[in-house]
Amino acid sequence: MSGAALEVVSVSLGSSTRDHTVEIVAGARRFRLSRVGTDGDLDEAARRIADLDGHVAAIGLGGIDIYLEAAGTRYPVRDGVRLQACAHVTPVVDGAGVKDTLERQAVEALAAEGVVGPGTPVFLVSALDRFGMAEAFDAAGCRLACGDLMVTAGIPYPIESLAELADVARRVLPQFARLPFTMLYPTGKAQEREPDGKLADAFAAAAVVAGDFHLIRQHMPARLDGKTVVTNTTTAEDVADLARRGVARLVTTTPPMEGRTFGTNVIEAMGVAALGSPPGGAAPAEVARVLAELGIGPQARRLETVS
Amino acid sequence: MSAGTAGLRAALADFAGRVNGDERLRKMIADWDRTIALEASEGGGEGLVVRAGEVRVADAMPDQADIRLRASVSVLEDVFSGALSPTEPYVDGSLAVQGSQEDVLRLDFLSLMIWGD
Repeated sequence: MSGAALEVVSVSLGSSTRDHTVEIVAGARRFRLSRVGTDGDLDEAARRIADLDGHVAAIGLGGIDIYLEAAGTRYPVRDGVRLQACAHVTPVVDGAGVKDTLERQAVEALAAEGVVGPGTPVFLVSALDRFGMAEAFDAAGCRLACGDLMVTAGIPYPIESLAELADVARRVLPQFARLPFTMLYPTGKAQEREPDGKLADAFAAAAVVAGDFHLIRQHMPARLDGKTVVTNTTTAEDVADLARRGVARLVTTTPPMEGRTFGTNVIEAMGVAALGSPPGGAAPAEVARVLAELGIGPQARRLETVS
Repeated sequence: MSAGTAGLRAALADFAGRVNGDERLRKMIADWDRTIALEASEGGGEGLVVRAGEVRVADAMPDQADIRLRASVSVLEDVFSGALSPTEPYVDGSLAVQGSQEDVLRLDFLSLMIWGD
């Protein structure tokens, strides 16, 4: 094992109650991974990033994206771009590249196992922040329902094709990405609200529920019997809660570390750190290659149903 | 209606017609009964009423409303005629919005689905 730990810090707009630090060994490298929540305070996040700049190997941005990408077009997220610009030396990444690789791998593995296939009903709570996952389910022949309009604006309209998703993205994202991000995604205390069960019908119609865990948690119903959940950023308590609701299989796109699965931003930052912290980050394929060398990838587990 | 908001009223009628003529947008507002007041900073205003998946221009600016937009007549007219995205005046402060976040985003969404791109 070589040298001092590579320090990776995720600055998140999420709740500070989920803060944690772990030290892990992956491949022949040691990493110290920390997550720092700013409870939705964008200015505090900016200060934290500026303070960390030049002092850590890589910075992850949690609870916000720098770009959203759909059907080959990238849409800059105003607040995310602003936060990224607070660091001048240390690369700042949002996990989009890792989402596009590890999440595809997770879905492809489910297809190879026969868990998903032609006609499998999948509820992807939000697809505009993970178009690659939507493409992977579509490629497996799944019947897709994307809940972007439901979770963002309460519009009871599932988007059911990639073409329609791309159409909505083209019309809406250039402007929505300029709004304060807190209008579009739960941050801070909003992440701690009790599940409202508002999208119970969409969950009930699906065999597989996928996407951002905060959105799943915020809207999930009391029972999720027999379902497969494909998500990330879960704690041990979250996993126990999913088991109590009857979830049969949990697939996390990054592996558990001391009971938690870190956000893709942390894992991407870890890959970038392992690549020597090139300014501006690294190409997704390069990050995917080094993560594979480090043994970092999706993990599936069966949950013991607890009644 | 005042003479000062005649252009706005025409823009609203066009907006309502575009929503009502689009089956997908009508589905998206099928559950959304709302009253929207548009207050002109110069005085006066107009309104929109959404009921059972259909949008119509209110006879007069409603006193009670679920969503209130306040801006100059020209900004309101530009927003509802598609000349200006609602995001731009909202972000630069020339359009003030009151209402639940979900309602405001749904209204923005309708506008962008008509004129976005």
